[in-house]
Amino acid sequence: MPREVSKGKVTVLNPACSSKVAERVPLAPRKFSNLEGKTIFLVDSGWGGPTGGYDVFEVMQDWFKQHIPSAKTILVKKKGMWADNDPELWKRIKAEGDAAIYGISC
Amino acid sequence: MSRHSKELEQMGIPTAPCTAINVAEYLRGYDRIYNNGMPLRYTVFPLPVAGVSREVHVKYVNGVDPVTSKPIMQEILDALTRPLTPEEQLTGFPPSAMEPRELPPDTEENLQAFFKARDWTDYLPIVLSTEERVAAMLKGTSHKPDEVVKTLHWPGGGRQLTVEKAAICAVMAGAKPQHLPVILAIANMVPFGNSTTSMTNVIIVNGPIRREIGMNSGTHAMGPYNEANSVIGRAFTLLSKTAGNLHAGKTTFSAMGSSLQYNNCCFAENEEALPDGWNPLHVQFGYRKEDSVVTVGIGWTYISCVGEALTEYPPQMLIRDYMKSVSGIGSAALLCADPLVAKVLHDYQGFASKEALSIWLGQNVKVPVQQFWGNGVVSTIAGSLGAQGLEPYASWLKLPADSVIAPFHNPKAVNTVVVGGQTNTIWYITDFRLSKGILIDNWR
Repeated sequence: MPREVSKGKVTVLNPACSSKVAERVPLAPRKFSNLEGKTIFLVDSGWGGPTGGYDVFEVMQDWFKQHIPSAKTILVKKKGMWADNDPELWKRIKAEGDAAIYGISC
Repeated sequence: MSRHSKELEQMGIPTAPCTAINVAEYLRGYDRIYNNGMPLRYTVFPLPVAGVSREVHVKYVNGVDPVTSKPIMQEILDALTRPLTPEEQLTGFPPSAMEPRELPPDTEENLQAFFKARDWTDYLPIVLSTEERVAAMLKGTSHKPDEVVKTLHWPGGGRQLTVEKAAICAVMAGAKPQHLPVILAIANMVPFGNSTTSMTNVIIVNGPIRREIGMNSGTHAMGPYNEANSVIGRAFTLLSKTAGNLHAGKTTFSAMGSSLQYNNCCFAENEEALPDGWNPLHVQFGYRKEDSVVTVGIGWTYISCVGEALTEYPPQMLIRDYMKSVSGIGSAALLCADPLVAKVLHDYQGFASKEALSIWLGQNVKVPVQQFWGNGVVSTIAGSLGAQGLEPYASWLKLPADSVIAPFHNPKAVNTVVVGGQTNTIWYITDFRLSKGILIDNWR
């Protein structure tokens, strides 16, 4: 018989494991209040195949041309599968870009 | 996505990650707290993103974020330019909630309800994990209760799955102590398949332990007709939902789910009925015949031949035909064949080994290349590899749409397991991609 069943209550062991929380990391400071004259990388992660996210970013490029024509957009595909790292691309964005738009995951 | 966006932010590049609505809550909540640590400013898109026309994408870009109802492009501009809030500048570790070893005493009825409320069950009644029952279960192994079987980093949190936690889930599933070594072995593969694509798993046991613990490899082996098959498969599900922390709408988002996840298609191979020259699965993977091994696979598709084999169109022909409906991801397929099918293939069709059958299928299953690339997961995974120059995908990307390819190009990923009770010449073809097996004897 389970322990304490005579009292109508049972004590059981917990199946869940404690999760460790992640160390908090702040965002990069926002140093400009608009994107006029800025270079923005649009980074397609590759999720959804070769056209899923890429098409959306092409539409975004059109949006920037129409609404913020002084902004320069550079549309790139990240190397490898969606989870693969691409440190060379990150270096390029750091060297040539002011901001990035990344996606689209689902 | 969150990892790469975080990396860019840490390099000083303001980044606007864009996600579809299905995983937005996870990214902003669980992923941030237990995995990433950065309060990324996500912009949320409606679904579907892939598989719809450019006109739909235009509507999305010019439409609103379905969570905030703000214009999508305004959300992106804000994400890149709005000054940081105090919360977005926090560092260090936030407070965390530890799971106690024991739960507060309560009635059995209330505890059953509590376990369901925490989404720790498969919504069938469980056996409550009292200290006495767990202690009895632990007699099924020589390992110490606090030994860590695996640290789970998905979906974040670095949870330590100990022998005691596995024993708790074994009790909950209705297992007996003799089942525990198998459950500890599969605990190394927790959690089960987790994808919006609704994947699932297969668990195949080989070696002497099949008979020692009464597993079924014969008639009804893949159905609900055997205690060991049932409770071992169920324990994998309960481990995935407790230690694995997979909860619907929070950390997992399967579009349809899979009913195979109730039991994870757990069975034993009918080694005694293998034709001469056909080795058990674990021997194919390099283990000794006298080893006890469990193999866990992951996949989506499960197609039955439905009827008995015919002389006019022998089994390998129909297997070949039905395999054209299998995605071919990673060249993977798993044939589950009744011993009668194995006998026909071996004795009358000339397949001297499982490997010979794998090679024949790899050479003879052919599909139009547009069908292969027409699968979104194939396109996402193999397409990325092809874009980097990995063959055969790089060449397949260049082919005209109606070109024919043989997607099962790696015969080592096309496996066969013999299971069944010889009441009909039945087989299933599946797309399960198998691991290399785990030695159960290490967990006795």
